[in-house]
Amino acid sequence: MHFFDRHLLAIIVAAPAIAAFIVLLLPEARLAWTRMVSLVGSLVSLIGAIVVAWTYDIGAAGLQRAESFPLVPSLGIELSLAVDGWGVSLLLLTGIIITTGVMASWTLENRAKEFFVLLLLLVAGVLGVFVSQDLFVFFLFYEIAVLPMYLLIGIWGSRGKVEASGPFAFAWKRFDIGGREYAAMKLTLMLLVGSAAILIVIFAMYFEAGGKSFDLSYLGRAQYSRSMQLWAFPLCWLGFGSLAGVFPFHTWSPDGHAAAPTAVSMLHAGVLMKLGAFGVIRVGMMMLPEGAAIWAPWVGGIAVINVLYGAICASHQKDLKYIIAYSSVSHMGIVMLGAATLTIDGWNGAIYQMFAHGMMTGLFFALVGLVYERAHTRWIPDMGGFAKVMPGVAAFFTLAGLSSLGLPGLAGFVAEFLVFLGAWQSAHPWWAIPGILGAWFTAVYVLRAARAIFWGEGPPKDLHELKEAHRTEWVALWALGLCLIVFGCFPRLILDFIHVSTVQYLPLIVKTAAAVAVAP
Amino acid sequence: MMNLGPLTIDLILCGLTFGVLSVDLALPHGRKRALGYLTAVLLAGLFVVSFFIDVSGSALSGAYQGDAWVLFFKRFALVAGVFVSLGAVDYVDRHFPTRQGEFWVLMLFTLLGMTLLPGARDLLLLIVCFELMGLPLVVLASFAKSEDKTGPGQFAPEAGLKLYLVSSVSTAITLYGVSIIYGLSGTTKLAELGGVGVSPMLFVGLAFALAGMGFKIGAVPFHMWVPDTYQGTSTPFVSFLSVAPKATGFAALAAVLILGFAHQKAAWAPLVLFVLVTSIFFGNLFALAQKDLKRLLAYSGIAQVGYMMIGLLTADAYGMGMLLFYIAGYLVTNMGAFLVLHAVAPNRSTITLDDVRGLSRRSPRLALALLLFLLSLAGIPFVVGFWAKLYVFMAAYRAGYTWLVLYGALMAIVALFYYLQIAKAAYMEEPTDAEPIRVDGSLDAVVMACMALVVVMGLYPSPFLQGAMAAARALFG
Repeated sequence: MHFFDRHLLAIIVAAPAIAAFIVLLLPEARLAWTRMVSLVGSLVSLIGAIVVAWTYDIGAAGLQRAESFPLVPSLGIELSLAVDGWGVSLLLLTGIIITTGVMASWTLENRAKEFFVLLLLLVAGVLGVFVSQDLFVFFLFYEIAVLPMYLLIGIWGSRGKVEASGPFAFAWKRFDIGGREYAAMKLTLMLLVGSAAILIVIFAMYFEAGGKSFDLSYLGRAQYSRSMQLWAFPLCWLGFGSLAGVFPFHTWSPDGHAAAPTAVSMLHAGVLMKLGAFGVIRVGMMMLPEGAAIWAPWVGGIAVINVLYGAICASHQKDLKYIIAYSSVSHMGIVMLGAATLTIDGWNGAIYQMFAHGMMTGLFFALVGLVYERAHTRWIPDMGGFAKVMPGVAAFFTLAGLSSLGLPGLAGFVAEFLVFLGAWQSAHPWWAIPGILGAWFTAVYVLRAARAIFWGEGPPKDLHELKEAHRTEWVALWALGLCLIVFGCFPRLILDFIHVSTVQYLPLIVKTAAAVAVAP
Repeated sequence: MMNLGPLTIDLILCGLTFGVLSVDLALPHGRKRALGYLTAVLLAGLFVVSFFIDVSGSALSGAYQGDAWVLFFKRFALVAGVFVSLGAVDYVDRHFPTRQGEFWVLMLFTLLGMTLLPGARDLLLLIVCFELMGLPLVVLASFAKSEDKTGPGQFAPEAGLKLYLVSSVSTAITLYGVSIIYGLSGTTKLAELGGVGVSPMLFVGLAFALAGMGFKIGAVPFHMWVPDTYQGTSTPFVSFLSVAPKATGFAALAAVLILGFAHQKAAWAPLVLFVLVTSIFFGNLFALAQKDLKRLLAYSGIAQVGYMMIGLLTADAYGMGMLLFYIAGYLVTNMGAFLVLHAVAPNRSTITLDDVRGLSRRSPRLALALLLFLLSLAGIPFVVGFWAKLYVFMAAYRAGYTWLVLYGALMAIVALFYYLQIAKAAYMEEPTDAEPIRVDGSLDAVVMACMALVVVMGLYPSPFLQGAMAAARALFG
């Protein structure tokens, strides 16, 4: 027991990877085994995350459960893991999403073994990012989280219908826009350009701090010159931000999410995009406070564009997956907006939005996957009246939609409220206005989509093929739906964790911001 | 009594070469396959022996030096030799059953040139070693030629001739450059060259010397022979040609630039910078358009050479250590990649995307190996290529070339595009020929060994990095 307790974080991170390895060794025909092993691997992570949350000492705050192992001592790279309040909440989120994601992919049969191997590897990377306390290892895990996506989308993805129009219509055909291989390649290349930017920032910090260690707290204590922070912060924002879907580097996200298979969209929109936002806050804002203070107006301004632009784009889509994908772009804007406010409420809201949006978008993509699997279309004009045959699915879709538009009592409301509160307290109170306008747009497109698909008029297609959710799918839907309600009614369950870390990290940055304002 | 300690490995290798030659005479036709295994075993044995003997010191009145740096390259050549012998033994046996002895003896001779060269501390000895390495390579490149105009040896004469012409011209150019350097300094000893002042003539001499070596490592603008030769000659041999001579070329470059002209860095750094920037650019750009996978990997290799040269550019122990690590990673990665291609189409010299299409169905193991090699070439984490690229980038950043890091990283993404095209064909597309692939046992073993090394060095690079750093420090005394 002592061993498990001591290395709990390592176990959480390693469990999916070990499960992936076991699945790799299983024979192709043992599909049931493959699923079970994957489920157990992700459950271990989830339970581990719950234990971590349970035992996390909120009073003491700070980093807990630290453990480390030297990886490349000559360069000061150490595999050091520890968890803070943010880490706790994001671990929980990842645990929930991967477990439900595995359940939602239960019926997948095409090359299932390879699918689960890649999916589990990806999750190991995500979990690693949230707990690593070494910048380099952070980057490593970040890369593992990004890369399997290429194969996952390329092999198991679906293609959407794209209407070619406008002056560039020829390019749509030429590059097979809307196709899964196009989406996979676009996503991978764009995110790796981001990685290249991140790499430079990492080097800059490492060498400016003395070139001895990549330890986050060691690098955090170093004094970086203002000129370096001035160029490093935007680079960091671009690098991590491209994964968070910041405008105008979000274009991979609708294509990628739309083309990806269910569990992958769930994970990618639910957790991976959060990695980007988390990176901007954890590496960009916390390590380069002066740069953050100077660039915050830009970050916030662009985040506002994200919120509005994403929502407007979403309201013009006819492909169900594209709607949800653009809504993710819009909601990630809220995360970035919260981060840019540099206020306690704003940051709490940003992290809470990561958590809430993860659940919500996970639920959305699970439902979209269900609908697509049964109706074999993502094209909304071809759907209608589905609630008659799949009332459960319809109800959950509406629930996720309500959370997405910020209905009080659901998790989305808490997060958006906090962010707008933070925006109002910040140096740029006007940010709150377009932010709230974005929420209004969300109501328009989400409700319209729900009506057109589920509640609207008669079925244009034969509805007999459509069936309600399957056993494990039910579990996934209920789990995510309940989370939305529970964390909407009792936000302190998560907010307490987030808050202790925010009050620990933020004052330093605010102090720097004030100093910058005094002496520009 | 002359001290020949530093030459122990080379002398043993020379003995082994003649040993293999005599065994060839004794073996009857039909049994000559054993020669390949014999070569592999002897080289592996010598590799093991290299850990138990002391080869440090100076020999031949200072013209030859043995230290950790030199030993690194000797071991490198031996490992490459072991891998290529195991990888090629089946090919050699099937395609030229009666000429196997010649093949292996030539291979051993070129290896002898490779083990000798890094220790040469005299310009003339350096060039002689270069030739000892280069001439057998020419013969080996055209070895597959046959009367059959459609067979695998179809382009072998062309490949050999191109290599020969380029090789001899580059040697002539190097010699011309060296003669200028000699005229300026009055000595051919590397250690005494440093006293020469920076002058336009020195620049010219260095440019010529570098151009010659640039041909050997296949860097832009001296790269034209690379794709044609790779395409035309037999694949297992390419796996060797694409790795081992490059490492030796870097040893020669390091000897001239760092041992000879460290103080004149201002004169040669712009040249190196130009070559590496253009190599990375054109290598990646041309690779995008290739249909033939061997040509694609040839161009990608040109780009990789550009990345390696970053280590050379920094000209310090840190950067050179990173260069050595890169080369070591490149050995297992690139050899592995070519050997997988060979395993996929063992009887052809032209290999296209069609051959790897649907490979994951035909042979999951080969497909996984190919994927890992491609990821490693692209520089993706948890395979060795990531650390290799990362380390040279670190060296570049440390030496003040921040823009080079950004440039290199962005070009690496261009490269990822074409590597992924191959991975995509192997994993996402349906096979054109659903027949499972049967691989010769020893070839399979080498591919698996390369794959294991790519992963091990990717997961735990520390000991390898320390070895490379120690070797690099030896160069700087």
